[in-house]
Amino acid sequence: MIALVLMGFGMVALIQIPGLVRKQWWRELICFTVFWSLGLIFAVILSMGIKLPPLTTIINETICGILGI
Amino acid sequence: MSLENGKISSFQLSVLIIGFVFGASVIIAPGQGAEHDAWIAIALGLMEGLIIAGIFTALARHFKGKTLVEINSLVYGKILGNFISILFIWYLFHLGALVLNNYSRFLKLELYPATPKTLTLILIILVCASTVRRGIEVLARCSLILVTLTIIMAIFDTLLVVPHMVLHNLMPILDIPLGKLLWSSHGTAVFPFGDAVAFLMVLAFVNKPEKGRSAVFKGIMIAGLVLIGVAVRNAAVLGQMNAIYTYPTYITAQVIDVGDVLTRVEVLVAINLITMGFFKISVAYYGTVLGLAQVFNLQSYRPLILPIGILMVILALTNVSNTAEMFDFANQGYPIYTVPFQIAIPLITLFVAKLRKLPKIGGEEI
Repeated sequence: MIALVLMGFGMVALIQIPGLVRKQWWRELICFTVFWSLGLIFAVILSMGIKLPPLTTIINETICGILGI
Repeated sequence: MSLENGKISSFQLSVLIIGFVFGASVIIAPGQGAEHDAWIAIALGLMEGLIIAGIFTALARHFKGKTLVEINSLVYGKILGNFISILFIWYLFHLGALVLNNYSRFLKLELYPATPKTLTLILIILVCASTVRRGIEVLARCSLILVTLTIIMAIFDTLLVVPHMVLHNLMPILDIPLGKLLWSSHGTAVFPFGDAVAFLMVLAFVNKPEKGRSAVFKGIMIAGLVLIGVAVRNAAVLGQMNAIYTYPTYITAQVIDVGDVLTRVEVLVAINLITMGFFKISVAYYGTVLGLAQVFNLQSYRPLILPIGILMVILALTNVSNTAEMFDFANQGYPIYTVPFQIAIPLITLFVAKLRKLPKIGGEEI
């Protein structure tokens, strides 16, 4: 599973990075790398079977807790 | 350099808004908390939704040709403006992930139980990414074809279930507590009508900005009327069970049986649901990448499309643990959660802009 994730992310990088380097769009390259890396970290965590906290449920519980719904 | 060179007409904007409002609201039926009075909740919600639309279109009209991110920078300055913009971008990103989650759950439960959710999510996001990459014009042109087909299908389905309708199921009218009805109508106002605030990232690209406001109103009105019709139909066909079913529109279509020949047309309904969801996800996705590109001062939003799409899929996979939690959020937290984004940000920004006499061209207020 992790190998599949790495292959997918590698393909995305191969599609985007050469064009950005050729155009010398460094700012775009930095932004792409930051979001791509975030995606990679979370995807690897998920593919290792580790559960991420359910964000929407946390938001819902916080709102309901504050307002006593 | 503008990040978007495409322009859409006010008619295309109206149709795109209809598709956007239909997206997900045909899966999570709005006003379901009001049981058989759902149609009344939708009607009341439509009125509140039009007030929300009035606020954000007033802001867009005040700053013609500017997206919310550009407006925030002008009104609050670079740092505070970008902070508020990032909050709004988070809302769009989260909205996209929520709709993606709704769709993958619907597909998993009703159509493809053996297919992994991740695969469905990846396929949906790839279609949306391809559209977002081509710009707002392509999205608007798609809406002309697909929304028309969906409205025709909704009318067709309704005509076919007429023999199964029991109007007595709508009675007694207004027998639920007023508080429950008002909460349900507020829930309907923010989802799906108020979600149209996402169009603050799109209104800048309407070729005749002065017609943008009426186009938004027309779109919301038409979508609202269709949703009221769908709610009446579902309640009349399903009766008390309407409030229990997870996907009442889909279940209503299952009832269709014309002489044992025309049956199982719910698959056509499912296709409609998926195509309308495509609009909602695409508009939220487009707003997210365009907004981020403007915040970070990029020359194009296209390099962000794939990584943001991946993050949206990850959030869609993890944001709720089960379907019940998704419905809890839609009915309890969401009507409160969206108030800052749908009402407070546009209203306060408009107020501050008026106070500071913005926008100014050559030192003169316009």
